[in-house]
Amino acid sequence: MAQTSGGVRNIKVFRYDPQQGGEGHFDSYVLNIQDETTTTILDVLLRIQREQDPTLSFRFACRVNMCGSCGMVINGKEGLACKTNVSHIPQGKEVTIRPLNHFPVIKDLVVDMEPFFKKYEEALPFYEPREETTEPAVIRPGSRERQDIGMATDCIACGCCVSSCTMCHYHEGYAGPAALNRAFTLLADSRDGLFEERLDRVLASCYNCRTEFNCTEVCPKRISGTRAIKYIQRLALKHIKAKPETIEAEQPAVAQPSCASEMAGSMAGNMAGNMDRRTFISQVGVGLLGTCLALGVGGVVGAAFVGPTRARTPRLWVPAASLSSIPVGDVTTIKINYETKNGLYTQQVAERVLVSRTGDEIICFKASCTHLGCMVKWDGNAGRFRCACHGGAFDRNGKVIAGPPPKPLDRYPFRVDSDHLLVEVG
Amino acid sequence: MIKNGSLNYRKPLSWGEYDPHRRGNTRIGMWAWLWQRISALAVIVLLGLHVTLTYRPLIQFLLLLAVTFHATLGLRVILLDFNIVGVKYHRALVGGLVGLGLVVMGLVWFSIY
Ligand code: SF4
Ligand code: FES
Repeated sequence: MAQTSGGVRNIKVFRYDPQQGGEGHFDSYVLNIQDETTTTILDVLLRIQREQDPTLSFRFACRVNMCGSCGMVINGKEGLACKTNVSHIPQGKEVTIRPLNHFPVIKDLVVDMEPFFKKYEEALPFYEPREETTEPAVIRPGSRERQDIGMATDCIACGCCVSSCTMCHYHEGYAGPAALNRAFTLLADSRDGLFEERLDRVLASCYNCRTEFNCTEVCPKRISGTRAIKYIQRLALKHIKAKPETIEAEQPAVAQPSCASEMAGSMAGNMAGNMDRRTFISQVGVGLLGTCLALGVGGVVGAAFVGPTRARTPRLWVPAASLSSIPVGDVTTIKINYETKNGLYTQQVAERVLVSRTGDEIICFKASCTHLGCMVKWDGNAGRFRCACHGGAFDRNGKVIAGPPPKPLDRYPFRVDSDHLLVEVG
Repeated sequence: MIKNGSLNYRKPLSWGEYDPHRRGNTRIGMWAWLWQRISALAVIVLLGLHVTLTYRPLIQFLLLLAVTFHATLGLRVILLDFNIVGVKYHRALVGGLVGLGLVVMGLVWFSIY
């Protein structure tokens, strides 16, 4: 491999100078790398710092994937600089290195991990024995809980998972995968004495997980934050069934306000205790938007389904032709077009009217066969209406004279209005 | 910019910001989540269209497609939530469920039309 794995690489490194402030930018460096399979990104950074730019800042300590200080984003994926080899990035492609997401950037690739450890601490990441004992606890390697916890205790707090998870950005109070994974290892441990308190603290956070699996994809220790989060959720499900009174116990703690306005005030006060005004307003906004959408869609669906059954479509007089254009003693076929409204949609209808005019008698037949609705045509030679589908035939007055039709042709009500023939539809 | 003593911190970077190769590294779980959200919006819009403009095969087809995506990806989360399928199969689950959903959808579609 060595013969193909060396070469010149373009390296782009994110730079941010706290003295200058601003947004930051990428600086490009060109490096000749002898053997990419044995050169880590950390080696690359060290070489850039020594050979080209001594002002470059980054963090590292152990160099052997143990301390978790060299987490960064390498070509769009979080990882440890000391664990990622240059050869992991496709041959010839540029290498981009940038700091982790969701942490304030101090300088270049160095981020402030304070928020990470604050959340970690909130999840009570330490072991507190259930009972005082001087004897070492015996946990069989094959026991269920030992298997469940597995290697999840291997977390080195590198922050990669938090950086990869988009929900850490959208939910400010979200503890993040690392803290929840830590909580999981202790919640699953039967020797631990802080079960209830820890569950109380982390449970709400678990519902911020959207099952994206980003944390699982990037963890250098192959820990699945998603698995830990789902585990805690299921644990809570079992636990709530076993112990419902904790929820009720909280209620007397709320002061009983004497009038409605006070109540509104105290509610707002309670809200403000947990979230700031902007998040409150935005959550209410999202809620309202959702309600409006649901009502809108529900209304449309409801109107469409219920509407037609409720309202009888109003009768409609459609002009067919001028009376003088209809010959006496013959049957004339006239096309009419009109619109019907059914629920929310309007439909264009085209129909044929068979007008039979003899002397001063006019009959307007519907041109659809009373058998199965095929189109009926006037056969002048035979003096009858014929339906081509099943051989139905009707006489001049619409009476059945042959074939399967069960009843005479339907007629339109009509009227003549100043030389205009109008038929009633609908 | 965040002030911290004498140092000016840069505000945290967010996903995809100054991140030229992020899209290529977006994995299937993230797409599954994203597509479920997109299909949810599509269902709302297409349902409205389906009701106002009835019997348009194109709208019906798209609605069925959106519902298929939304349902199968929702099923994925349920299966994972209740540990009916282990998280280590989460990648195969996306392809499997969506594939199965599309097959069922195809059968439904061709039995109607
Ligand atoms: S869970 Fe993995 S990615 Fe997250 S902090 Fe721990 S070692 Fe890093
Ligand atoms: S330097 Fe310690 S994990 Fe990379």
